[in-house]
Amino acid sequence: MILVIAEHRAGKLNRATWEAIAAAQQLAAGQPVAIAVLGSNIGSIAAELAAAQVQEVVTLDNPALEPYTPDGFTAALQQAIDQLKPSIVMLPHTYQTRDFAPKLAARMDRALVTDVIGFKLEPRGASPEPRFVRPMFQGKLTADIAAEGPAPHVVTVQIGSFRADAAGKGASPAPVRALAAAIDPAAIRQRPEPPFQEARQSVDLSQAERIVSVGRGIKEADKLPVAQGLAAALHAELAASRPICDAGWLPMERQVGSSGQTVAPKLYLALGISGAIQHLVGMKGSQTIVAINKDPDAPIFEVADYGIVGDLFEIVPAMIEALKA
Amino acid sequence: MQTLAFWVLFVAFVGAFAAQVASRVRLIAAAPGAFALDDMGGRARRFLVDVVCQVRTIRERPVVGLAHAFVFWGFVAFAGYTSVEFLRGLGIIDLTDTRWFFAYRVVLVPFAAAVLAGILFLVVRRAVFRPATLGPTVSIESVVIALFIATLMTTFLLGFNLEEASLGGRVNWWVHMLVILAFLALIPASKHLHLVLSPVTVFLKSPELGRIPNLDFEKEEIGLETVKDLGKKAVLDALTCVECGRCQVNCPAFGSGKELNPKTLILQTQEAVLAGERDRKLGDLYSEKVLWQCTTCGACENQCPVGIEHTPIIIGARRGLVSNGEAPEYLGSMYNHLERRRNIWGLGYDQRQKFVTSAALEIFDPAKHDVLVWLGCAGAFEADFQKSLRSLFDILRARNIRFGVLSKEQCNGDPAKRTGNEYMFQELATANIDELRAAGPKKILTSCPHCVKTIGEDYRRFGYEVEIVHSSVFVAELMRDVRPASAEAGARATITFHDPCYLGRYAGTVDEPRELLTKFGGENVELKEPVRNRDNPFCCGAGGGLLFADKEEEPGSRISDVRFKQLQETGAGTVVTACPFCSIMLKGAQTSAPANNVQFVDLMTFVRDRHLTKSPDQRIP
Repeated sequence: MILVIAEHRAGKLNRATWEAIAAAQQLAAGQPVAIAVLGSNIGSIAAELAAAQVQEVVTLDNPALEPYTPDGFTAALQQAIDQLKPSIVMLPHTYQTRDFAPKLAARMDRALVTDVIGFKLEPRGASPEPRFVRPMFQGKLTADIAAEGPAPHVVTVQIGSFRADAAGKGASPAPVRALAAAIDPAAIRQRPEPPFQEARQSVDLSQAERIVSVGRGIKEADKLPVAQGLAAALHAELAASRPICDAGWLPMERQVGSSGQTVAPKLYLALGISGAIQHLVGMKGSQTIVAINKDPDAPIFEVADYGIVGDLFEIVPAMIEALKA
Repeated sequence: MQTLAFWVLFVAFVGAFAAQVASRVRLIAAAPGAFALDDMGGRARRFLVDVVCQVRTIRERPVVGLAHAFVFWGFVAFAGYTSVEFLRGLGIIDLTDTRWFFAYRVVLVPFAAAVLAGILFLVVRRAVFRPATLGPTVSIESVVIALFIATLMTTFLLGFNLEEASLGGRVNWWVHMLVILAFLALIPASKHLHLVLSPVTVFLKSPELGRIPNLDFEKEEIGLETVKDLGKKAVLDALTCVECGRCQVNCPAFGSGKELNPKTLILQTQEAVLAGERDRKLGDLYSEKVLWQCTTCGACENQCPVGIEHTPIIIGARRGLVSNGEAPEYLGSMYNHLERRRNIWGLGYDQRQKFVTSAALEIFDPAKHDVLVWLGCAGAFEADFQKSLRSLFDILRARNIRFGVLSKEQCNGDPAKRTGNEYMFQELATANIDELRAAGPKKILTSCPHCVKTIGEDYRRFGYEVEIVHSSVFVAELMRDVRPASAEAGARATITFHDPCYLGRYAGTVDEPRELLTKFGGENVELKEPVRNRDNPFCCGAGGGLLFADKEEEPGSRISDVRFKQLQETGAGTVVTACPFCSIMLKGAQTSAPANNVQFVDLMTFVRDRHLTKSPDQRIP
């Protein structure tokens, strides 16, 4: 059985949990998948998770588990794993996971494979053993890792490697069961302070999945609605290169580049951006780059997956029309 | 009786002078390190030019410089006179009655007149006109010294009219001698100590601009943290400053409204050294923020008439900060990129390979190729600059120059070196040197002036010497015997050239780019010069790691914006650049500036487009 550990904050499930569920379902290939969720008063979250096609949702509901602490989570999960005996414990590779998963694996003296982007099934003996694929040396190579030693093996999956919408939903909600876990609050050494967000940013471009970005080609501030229209039609965030933010047409927090934000969305649409290197280094990690520029020699076309040489004031309205259809 | 009185005064004042000078010499001696004395020939030559002939003083400010030169030459000429009068006063020997002494005095008259004219001009300028560069307040001590000098010359001239033995004559003599003694006692505690120190400082100044010695990690050197870490030359520099403000006035940071002021930096050092504040942190003394505003353009050091080297102090202090992990955030990601991907932008090496393939470049083989082309970070990864390199390759191929590139190149290390990350620099440098030694080129050609400086000079400190030239020099030489076809009919174009700091100032290469522009521009192109050009350009703002600085950190205007405005003011429609970083910064400034039509072209592309893209019957063989 593969046990997925869900992550949530302030009553909201982290999207990456669904990615981990999808990964677990693919890896399990028919074998049972269960989900564990820890916290306090997590009934509604458990109900949300029950929509997944899983054997059951197990809750560890204890006031000592809110807010999150590595000591609390490790103590609770250890007990849960002892009771449920999964072959694999799967988590999304978030900051929170990074905080306690190594501790958990070390406590149990079990293998930990992190930041997995995929897996292969290798026939070895009677049943196939998974090989976990993970990047190495800043993405220059990938390695196939076999987890050795007794179960469970702890595996974390890289954000974005598995699609959240690929998580199978069940025909009817899965059963939700409470698991008793004894946690001694005095044994928790961490005293977390309330989380805070740095005041200056009201938009976090690094979280955006789609970005429509404008450059000098937009010509004037009052032409921005053209780009905004496209962003709205695509449910994308609006961003810009330096000159736009310098001129005050968009706030500094929307600047992408070496002196602004570094983004890696699924889709980056560069409108009227020449692609000077100072901008490029801020968005080159985007999965798909579409560029629209009048100048066929613009450096942006060197990195774009799709490029249109033309007038953005003709092309963008046409795109918006096509999207509405 | 008079002789005894004179002896007493002599011993007292000269003693005061000697004691003060000695305490300063002790401060220098107590500083770590040693003076470099390489290239004696070059040093002697510079001494002759800058000290004796006062060239550097005069060039930047001709009228003021000449006035000062008069005063200086006068001082030197009067040395003999002063010595003879002292010998007489001390009762040792009296040579004043001789014929040659009278002739000497006559010869000194024009000198005295020149000194008087000079000093009066200077004191009126300082006290009445009050140029900003001399500071907000008038230094009383400067006025006093000026009056002393005027008095000396006046009493000397009066000596022709007064009978020596008369009361007037004797008073005149005593005034003259007392002023000299008072002068002596005053100079060590003032900027006039430069009279004694500056010839030494100029002689000891490094032969090349911006010499930053390696840190010896075996000896656990980490850079300059406190005042006591400042080396002997730095302490000598601080004591030599004449507060002329040439460094301040030429500094691009100061000139764009930043806090950094090289003159203030040196004077702060002087104050701290004299006050004995050995344990004062440099980051605290200068204010850390100021240290990161320097682009290492070298204008300060290059303009200084008394031999001060500002850049080793600033970069040394940066090293002290970086070694303690106190570099600004934007440098952190640059260092990460250098460490992980060996280039400043953190781009994958396959991109360089793509360029090598698409430009059909061969891997350098000394048996096959005349010259190695060093691509550099911009050449390997920056699409815009690669256009310039393609132009260069076209030119080389058209002239049958066989060239190749290294299969593996890392950043030359300049951004790490100039921002104080010496460890990263040495890592990059040693790796590159291994590759270069294995490849064995006799000559390296590059289009990036920073690479020229770092590989040509900084790599020498690892024992690697190679001839490396900037493409403008190589191509100018290549094209020397080429006569371009007659000018095409067409509208006149106005262009201007932005001298890169690391090319015009550091390498002194100012003629070759202009040679190429006028030759290949032809009659239809007019070359305008911006203010601040040739070997004293106004920086584009990229150096010293500032290419990566955030806007939030900058008070004042952006250096690149200031420079772009200067280039616009020439009226030129096209700006020609010869450095990838100047190109990035100025193009950025152009897009941020109010709507304008200024075009940019790289020097190599300019040449190639005019040389190679003519119809076959017009093409030069």
